[in-house]
Amino acid sequence: MSSILEARSMSKKVELGKNNYLNILKGVNLEIEEGEFVSVMGPSGSGKSTLLYNISGMDRITAGSVKFKGREIGRLKEEELAKLRLRHMGFIFQDIHLLKNLSLIDNVMFPALVSKDANKKVVYQKAKKLLDMTEIAQLADNHITQGSGGQLQRVAICRALINDPDILFGDEPTGALDSKSAAKIMSILAEINKNGTTIMLVTHDAKVAAKTDRVLFMVDGNIVAQKKMSKYDAQHDDGKDREESIMKWLVENRF
Amino acid sequence: MFIKMVKNDFYRKKIITGTVFIFITLAVLLGASAINNIANLIQSMSELQEHAMPADITQMHSGEYDQEEIDQFTKEHREHIGMQETMVLLNFDGSHIHYGNNNTMAGTVQDISFVVQNNKFDFILDLDNEKLDVQEGFVAVPIYFMEQYDLKIGDPITVKNGEYQKAFIISDYARDYEMNSSFTSSKRFVINKQDYDEMRREQAGELEYLIEFKLTENGDVNAVQTAYFEAGLPANGPTIGGTIFLLFNAMSDTAIAMVIILISILLIIIAALCIRLTFLATIDEDLREIGVMKAIGISKKDIKKVYLNKYRVMAAAGGIIGYLLSFAVVNLFNGNMRLYIASDLSGNLKYVLSLVAPLVVYIMIVMYCRHVLKKIDKISAVEALRSDIMERRKNRKYSFPLLKNKFFSTNLYMGVRDVWKRFGLYRLLFFIFIVCTFIAILPLNIYNTMNSPEFSTYMGIGKSDMRIDLRRTDTITDDFEKLQKELENDPEIEKHAASITSSYQVKNTEGSWDYIYIETGDFSVFPLNYLEGSAPEDEGEIALSFANAQEDGLNKNVGDKIAVKVGGTEKTLKVSGIYQDITNGGKTAKADNSLEVNQDAVLWYIVSMDVSPEADIHEKMKYYQNAYESAQVNDIEEYTRQTLGNIIDQMSVIVLGAIAIAFIIAVLITALFLRMLLSKDMSQIAIMRSVGLTSKHIQNQYMAGTLMVLLFGIIVGVLASNYLGESLVSMALSTMGASKIELVIVAWQTWLLFPLALIAVVWFTIFVCCNVSAEDDLSIVMRS
Repeated sequence: MSSILEARSMSKKVELGKNNYLNILKGVNLEIEEGEFVSVMGPSGSGKSTLLYNISGMDRITAGSVKFKGREIGRLKEEELAKLRLRHMGFIFQDIHLLKNLSLIDNVMFPALVSKDANKKVVYQKAKKLLDMTEIAQLADNHITQGSGGQLQRVAICRALINDPDILFGDEPTGALDSKSAAKIMSILAEINKNGTTIMLVTHDAKVAAKTDRVLFMVDGNIVAQKKMSKYDAQHDDGKDREESIMKWLVENRF
Repeated sequence: MFIKMVKNDFYRKKIITGTVFIFITLAVLLGASAINNIANLIQSMSELQEHAMPADITQMHSGEYDQEEIDQFTKEHREHIGMQETMVLLNFDGSHIHYGNNNTMAGTVQDISFVVQNNKFDFILDLDNEKLDVQEGFVAVPIYFMEQYDLKIGDPITVKNGEYQKAFIISDYARDYEMNSSFTSSKRFVINKQDYDEMRREQAGELEYLIEFKLTENGDVNAVQTAYFEAGLPANGPTIGGTIFLLFNAMSDTAIAMVIILISILLIIIAALCIRLTFLATIDEDLREIGVMKAIGISKKDIKKVYLNKYRVMAAAGGIIGYLLSFAVVNLFNGNMRLYIASDLSGNLKYVLSLVAPLVVYIMIVMYCRHVLKKIDKISAVEALRSDIMERRKNRKYSFPLLKNKFFSTNLYMGVRDVWKRFGLYRLLFFIFIVCTFIAILPLNIYNTMNSPEFSTYMGIGKSDMRIDLRRTDTITDDFEKLQKELENDPEIEKHAASITSSYQVKNTEGSWDYIYIETGDFSVFPLNYLEGSAPEDEGEIALSFANAQEDGLNKNVGDKIAVKVGGTEKTLKVSGIYQDITNGGKTAKADNSLEVNQDAVLWYIVSMDVSPEADIHEKMKYYQNAYESAQVNDIEEYTRQTLGNIIDQMSVIVLGAIAIAFIIAVLITALFLRMLLSKDMSQIAIMRSVGLTSKHIQNQYMAGTLMVLLFGIIVGVLASNYLGESLVSMALSTMGASKIELVIVAWQTWLLFPLALIAVVWFTIFVCCNVSAEDDLSIVMRS
């Protein structure tokens, strides 16, 4: 399998004041294979989310390199980065972040319709299919104020998938949801990954990390440990053993 | 604590706070300047009046004249008449007055006369408002001509009439209360008694008499006027009341002050809109703050105080700065006043009166803020903290789904639908664009109307190519007939029509007799646009000017009867029509040729004509000017241009100023609006960028929405200035005698040039403002 994302000595420094800098990422090295489902764990302020935003090109790294499918993205122009996000990447956030003035299905279709050559009919059918897959097709024409957190997060997943991305990034996608909704989201993500989409998400919940293939652990701006696991099978596994194994690993390493 | 919060708020919203502050300051600045101007005008007019002591009644006359009769009349009416003076004018044609490099004043519509100072009243002053004392060989020239021909002190002026020639050096400018204005058709040059006597001896010019009366404190103008006519005293020229001089003198300055006050009101509205915009744009953020304040137990009153204090401080500071600056800025607007009315504008009245502007602005701003802040009363702490709860309550129907878009790209469609979805926000911009278009187009339309040949309609003149006015001379009747005959035989004159204006007595609403000017002739050759009815075509018909037909005039409608004294006998005429006329104080009338001319009181003879297309109109004008020495030949455009005088020049400055103000307001408010919209939409923009939209895509969205608002704003603005503006101008001019102005709209200027220029300016502003910074880390917004 070839790597889809590769970070070498990736650093991120932010200016807090005059001559006052904070190093959030300190030379991170990371490789993610195509089709992998990776989760990043770590205490608050360890740099998990910063890693996600910088490796996905949403933020600009201050040193090192990041390659997406072998192409250096650290120095791409804004236009090229935007195109990359539009065509090859999908994002889901803890705060969901849907566009306020659009209905749920319009939110899903929007990234696809931005392209000049978009076929509205095809886009509509695809959006319907995605909403169907995430079991919220009946809410398609609702306004975003008319859905629960779990439902809206499913809309956000559909939006992230509308352009068939190579990789899906998630910043604590279940962080603000109740346990039932969180479980639903994770089973959807597992299904998506099974279909070949690479996923990288940040979480502080071992239950979420248990559904992934590899768990990275970050402390103080660097990856200090990782745990590889077998592919999660949602149909035949409730994930409890995997969760326990992660907890044990965390305790053993005194994280 | 509160001061700290206000201070923090200032720092947090520097741009919006700064802009609101600028608008408040500008509103006060202009408002105070306008009031300052009016205060100066009131004070300096009364000062000028005090020094010049103008006549209350001035009767112009040429021809036979006996001072003894006048003295007798004065004696008999001592209860009304305080003083009497007769000024003898030595009249010259413009072509007789030479200046500069062999230039003459030919072509001026003004009657030029050389005079010496009166002894008792109606003094002509210098620029320090002192009575002019001109030495032998020198002349004081009227300010009107000084401006018109750029005459300087020390320049020579020569009077040449046939063999006679006399040279003068300009020693002063003459500030003439009675004849300052371009609306007064005579101008007086003041010379020394020795020179004057010599010119009279040599019969250098035509004589004309100004028989002037200064009334006692309780003197009745109408009573003296009627008694004067009834006594059959010399009166073959127009009679002018003192109030007309006052009106003419103050007119252009009052008009300028009104325009400035209008702009100032506009700026107050804009400042209020900016404040509203601030509230709308930051309400989400502020609501949370209000919620926190409420939750920790701060009372509504105190919360309001935090917000109100900020605007109180701004309104007070803006008021003080604007008030102080207005004393410097007012000099930009009072150039005309300093020249024509008073050079020294150091009166104290302005300091007190112009305080009204900052006070009014302060009260308006604070009241407006209180009104906007009422919203705080209605929000509970929980609602304020969870503003999404309020959003959820709104169960609006979803409109403009993306799939319904057939014509635009998705980004343009997003921009256009955003205007629909948030019209509450955009309507402020919409209103500003309407206002900007209105303030630029209306003055432009007025300017084009004043400059068009159609304007003659409002001067009671039918549209013709040129007109010849015959001045009163001994040979005037012969000249008039000779001229008509010559025109008849001139193949290059397509058509012509002659008219004679003379003074008649008419019965007023109270049953007594008033004097009015009636022009008799054939009015079908160069027809006028009548407000009601038509031209007098048959015997016994008369058309009245709008001011004459009004309630405070003769109070007549079309079809009404009117009694006129002709040659001593009473004749009843029927009103055939009402027309507009701003000349002669607006009070004129027209009757068919069949009305006998009142030979004793003929004021002027006019012949209007159209020149054939092959002929050169200027050559024709030259020819008739040379052939008839007493004639004043003008093409109609030049005639209206000179009569309106510096009003047209001032209007062109106002047009340019208004366009500049419109552009500045459009740029400032668009920039401000977009800055606020962008900061309000920060998270939505970040979301769009996170899914792959470029800053260009986002720029296009705002561009589409804002330009659509601009387009509709321009359309409404142009329509408003064309139609509403027409009513406003008509309303303003109805006091002068024109009640139905039809603005001349130059389509390529109003519908093409100005809109394109405004679109270009706004487009550039959007382009600069919406250059969404692409270098910032997206996560900053996404995670905040």
